[in-house]
Amino acid sequence: MKKQKLRVAVIGLGKMGLLHSSLLNVFSNVELVALCDKSKLLNRLYKKIFSPTGVLVVNDIDKLAGLDLDVAYVTTPISSHSSIVKTLYEKEIARHLFVEKALATNYEQAKEMCELAKNSDSITMVGYMKRFSVVFGKAKELLQQGNLGKIKSFKAYAYSSDFLGLTKESMSSASRGGALRDIGCHIIDLSLWILGDFDVQNVLSSTRNETGSELSVSFTVTNSAGLSGQINVSQQMPNYRMPEFGLFIKCSDGTIDVNDDRLLLTSSDGTQQKWYRHDLNDNVYFSIGDAEYFRENQHFVNSLLENKHCEPNFETSSKVDYIIEQVKTRSEQ
Amino acid sequence: MNKKVRTMLLVGDNPFHGISHLSQEQARSRADGDVSAADKADLILTAVENGATGFMFSVSDLTLTILKTLREREKIDKLELHAIVPYVFEYVRIATQTGTPGLAKNVVKQMALSGDVQAIFGGLNGAFRMKPESLLKTYVSYEINKIKAAAGKKANLSSVLLHEVLTDMGLALNFDWLFKSFTSFLSKKGITPGFNTRNLPLFVRKFNEWNINLDQTLIATPFNKAGFQMNPSRTEFENTLSNISSPIVLAISVLAAGYFKPPEAVAYLANLSNLKGVVAGVSKESHARETFKLFDERLNKNI
Repeated sequence: MKKQKLRVAVIGLGKMGLLHSSLLNVFSNVELVALCDKSKLLNRLYKKIFSPTGVLVVNDIDKLAGLDLDVAYVTTPISSHSSIVKTLYEKEIARHLFVEKALATNYEQAKEMCELAKNSDSITMVGYMKRFSVVFGKAKELLQQGNLGKIKSFKAYAYSSDFLGLTKESMSSASRGGALRDIGCHIIDLSLWILGDFDVQNVLSSTRNETGSELSVSFTVTNSAGLSGQINVSQQMPNYRMPEFGLFIKCSDGTIDVNDDRLLLTSSDGTQQKWYRHDLNDNVYFSIGDAEYFRENQHFVNSLLENKHCEPNFETSSKVDYIIEQVKTRSEQ
Repeated sequence: MNKKVRTMLLVGDNPFHGISHLSQEQARSRADGDVSAADKADLILTAVENGATGFMFSVSDLTLTILKTLREREKIDKLELHAIVPYVFEYVRIATQTGTPGLAKNVVKQMALSGDVQAIFGGLNGAFRMKPESLLKTYVSYEINKIKAAAGKKANLSSVLLHEVLTDMGLALNFDWLFKSFTSFLSKKGITPGFNTRNLPLFVRKFNEWNINLDQTLIATPFNKAGFQMNPSRTEFENTLSNISSPIVLAISVLAAGYFKPPEAVAYLANLSNLKGVVAGVSKESHARETFKLFDERLNKNI
């Protein structure tokens, strides 16, 4: 890409849409051109708020056509990702796309979106920002160094208290795709990124709400290299004030115990080393929420400006949708 | 000759809410389900006996109960109150459960149930005319009224600070109206307008660019030796601090959520000139006593 400044639109102005809009607006090589949300109320309010800044606010994706956009961010509920992505490609509204996690509501949709991206020669990214966390990055680096030997097994979790104690399950749980697509997708993506490919072996347990979306699920995975693992996901865990993700990885010559806050490395001779975020240079140029959101956007922007392949893209992320589909199918069986 | 001003020492409320930016695992392991708001009020009073001069808190049901307890014990006038609005955690949780429109309905319902006539009519007027400034003022009034109802007439609500997520989004999106409106509204009420940020250098640059008088504000921002949550870097934070014309900065995250012991933390803070105050969270009576006694001795020793 020859452009010095990328023209960007953000579709969906919930908390993630506003977060990405804010972060993008501090990049000197990005111009936030337009925002789109179909809610009439939010649309009226955002028009008032953004009009002095020169950012266009619209309520229909079609109104983004003709704005000479380089990139569109899709931060709407998961159930709408597929149709929005199709519209953006088919009407040539934007060539390159960022889609918040999870990519799709099923694997079939995810594959279709991958095909569309390929045909449009599009650089894509999916919002698995945990890959840009300094602690999870350190875990991957330690495993790649090879001093821990062969990876044997792992246990991973994604827990939150978001739906703890709710007597009537809200529709929001369904629109967010259930626990697997809402928070489980992060730990599946992290596990695939850090440990490599695997497939679902068994579903150990699963609970669902009235709309059929799972609130908690536990399943085992395996691969041909002899790796075995268990992944536990729940949005009803007590005392998980914020969603938390973690992995315990057992290798032939030691273990790694990592979560959002810290990493504990234990060598086979029993010696231990611990790193907190504080030890791993977690500073960024500008931060809202966690620093990984800035790094994620920076990585995507740099990939676009340098016309380079970006990770995690639609293709890579569709593997998460594949695993989720396997879990759902086994769970129904 | 400049007379050295006493460094304000404030009790922070993060441990009361079970927040640890070092390790949520640790916060869970010391989860104090049996510790009442009354016990937390005791902790604040212990800190006050050992040098603390105020309490900085997010406006939540828990902290409002603590304020009510302090009022009932007739101790509320012993400390300055610094409130952070909104309590973003609760709003994000509601948005997760019900979606953004559900969150908007929830806020309107809470305001209506509060019986705060000014807030209800101001809010309706702002919503009808879609005036963001009116909605902001109405919302802040509603929060102030909640604090006053809990803390009583004798309470000294010294400042109201905008939560870091809103401050930093406002900075990024160039919403100068937000900062101007917030500052002017609170100043007229005789309350110091404050801002919580993790991006101090950009904050100061933007305020200067927008011609907002920093001297009339209070900034709560991280200062610790590890540079934790100091973006883009500790050095840039320190340079920015030394270039601000008057002491308006309250250092938060000074213990970096327990990464540093109080003696290490205060050794770093004592070398920073131009700080107005320091905020530290405590979870035990012994912590409250030792931390604030040490901070007062080291930071106010020549006064």
